[in-house]
Amino acid sequence: MTSTAFTPDVVAMRGRRGLAGLAIRRFIRRPVAVVSLLVLLAVLIAGALAPVIAPHGWNWIDLSPSVVHRPPSLAHLFGTDPIGRDMLDRTLYGIRTTEETAFGAAALATLLGVLAGALAGYYRGWLDAVVMRIADLVTAYPAVILTLAAIVYLGEVYPHDLILIFGGYMWAVVARVVRAHIAALRTHEFVEAARALGASDLRILFRHLLPNAGGTILVAATSLVGQIVLIDATVEFFNYGLSSSVAPSLGNLISDVVQTKFATPTTLVVPGSSSWWIWILPSAVLVLILVCMNLVGDALDAALNPGAASG
Amino acid sequence: MTAFAVRRLLLSAGVLLAVSLGTFVFIATRFTPTCYSRYSTGAIPTLASTPRQATALWWNWLKGVPSGHSFGQVCGSNIGAPLWPALGHTAALLAATALLVVVFSLVLGTVAASRAGSALDVGVRGFAYAAWAVPAFVLALGLQSVFNWAGQHYGFHAFGTTGWPGSCLGQGGVVLPSSLCGPAPTGFTYAADVLRHLVLPSVALAVAFIGIHSRYLRSSLLVALAAPYTTTARAKGLPERLVVLRHALRNSLATFTSALLLDFGAIFGAAMAVDWVFQFNGLGTLFITEIAGFGAGDSARTLNPYAIEALLTLAALFVVASSFIAEVAIAAFDPRGRLR
Repeated sequence: MTSTAFTPDVVAMRGRRGLAGLAIRRFIRRPVAVVSLLVLLAVLIAGALAPVIAPHGWNWIDLSPSVVHRPPSLAHLFGTDPIGRDMLDRTLYGIRTTEETAFGAAALATLLGVLAGALAGYYRGWLDAVVMRIADLVTAYPAVILTLAAIVYLGEVYPHDLILIFGGYMWAVVARVVRAHIAALRTHEFVEAARALGASDLRILFRHLLPNAGGTILVAATSLVGQIVLIDATVEFFNYGLSSSVAPSLGNLISDVVQTKFATPTTLVVPGSSSWWIWILPSAVLVLILVCMNLVGDALDAALNPGAASG
Repeated sequence: MTAFAVRRLLLSAGVLLAVSLGTFVFIATRFTPTCYSRYSTGAIPTLASTPRQATALWWNWLKGVPSGHSFGQVCGSNIGAPLWPALGHTAALLAATALLVVVFSLVLGTVAASRAGSALDVGVRGFAYAAWAVPAFVLALGLQSVFNWAGQHYGFHAFGTTGWPGSCLGQGGVVLPSSLCGPAPTGFTYAADVLRHLVLPSVALAVAFIGIHSRYLRSSLLVALAAPYTTTARAKGLPERLVVLRHALRNSLATFTSALLLDFGAIFGAAMAVDWVFQFNGLGTLFITEIAGFGAGDSARTLNPYAIEALLTLAALFVVASSFIAEVAIAAFDPRGRLR
């Protein structure tokens, strides 16, 4: 196209809008992304407000025969488990635990990854080699196996341990992306101009390079949250990590039914005849979070990096 | 090209040695191969007391790898015995999954990109987003439940829903009485049985990765279809089918192959969970039973550092090897990256 200079984006840029404003406009032009973001926010806020919405807590047992092990009804929207605990309450607390772990770990990983990646990409040389080789070592194991091994090593884990484990693994993913981006940016003229004006290395890095990598970092951080939710759920599905008797999470709620299943191999979970609601509804919430997370992440990518092809 | 490959190979071998030493030191200074129970009184000694001692033990372990001596005793039983069948089962699962992922991603991605914007394209993209969000273990549980239900109510038994044909190993590596698992089939019957049992697990494992890789292929094909060389091919009067298959797709294959190979760690992790759901007695089940100390002690503290080390190193070997192949493949397809 020859008339690039007059595309709506460029025209809009002549107004008062900054780059962030343009990105937001590009984002809200995708209705699917906006709906996903709203659904995601609703689910996450419901999880964060679990103690308000479900004041009984996740471990409130009601052994009256009319309540124990019932399929979904108006009184218990997600049904009840064999000791009369409301599955909706447990799922809400599960969302809360899962989002604490995922957001905490993604924040830690992003912080470490941005620092390591930016320094490696800017200084190159031996620092770059050392940081990237450490990243290679960390990511040599499949994430699920490394997490399982770390959990076994620690013995007993709580959400803050999981945040450290995932943060200690995932920083390498962010560091690679940030390093590549910074290494490409540092050859641009504006960096040379800043250096000619007498700017120090740190000033160039933090005032010029990192703000320019902001979009890439945001996209990488968003995709981390989804990946951590998935890995966390897989690990807890093996009945490692947090136990549902310590704190319910989406993964260990799904895992509980499998443990019961393996205890009696002949009575498999069969829809309609057994307690499908105990695992299908938490699974559905998990899938919903992941779908919305992926759609939002992709739309963010397209909005922040308009030049690249979008999927 | 050879120099590049050799350099990457040495680097990969270095990474593998370093991570194997690192994990060994961690594990050996914390656990012991002796079978203590969690109810044992007093302090349980660890395999090594200092990192230095652990390093010496690791060196001995490493020397025994080629001969197979390193797969030590796990509370009276040998890790080598369950390791090889488990490796075979996991390899079969991964091969079937790889086949599904490659075929379906190529077909869906190409169809979606060559008809970008059509209802078909929107459908494929919708599937891709939904598929990528369903964890493999959730899909595995779902498929298993549905097919068990179909089996119980409609007598539909075309696909196996649990276990490996002829394997008398139950959950947790417990050997079942032969009345429960029946005689092992042989020859053609065995092969057919294995295929029957592979269908559901490989579908459960493949769907998510078909979702993401068909989407990757679609976007890289869209770039290729807009490239000047594609316009040239069209201008020469080539039929659209050849333009897509010979020119655009061929150029997108490099990215597709390397993305798929680099995703191997994720596929391996998901395969562990699928293996566990379908009681396949693959590496996933073996790993979980080893770290849980099933069958012998009753606590994670009884786990055998040598057994865990063997499994961890094997997992790392898979990942490091696939990323090595990915790097060499990228370099072979696109010489620009070699000069780094």
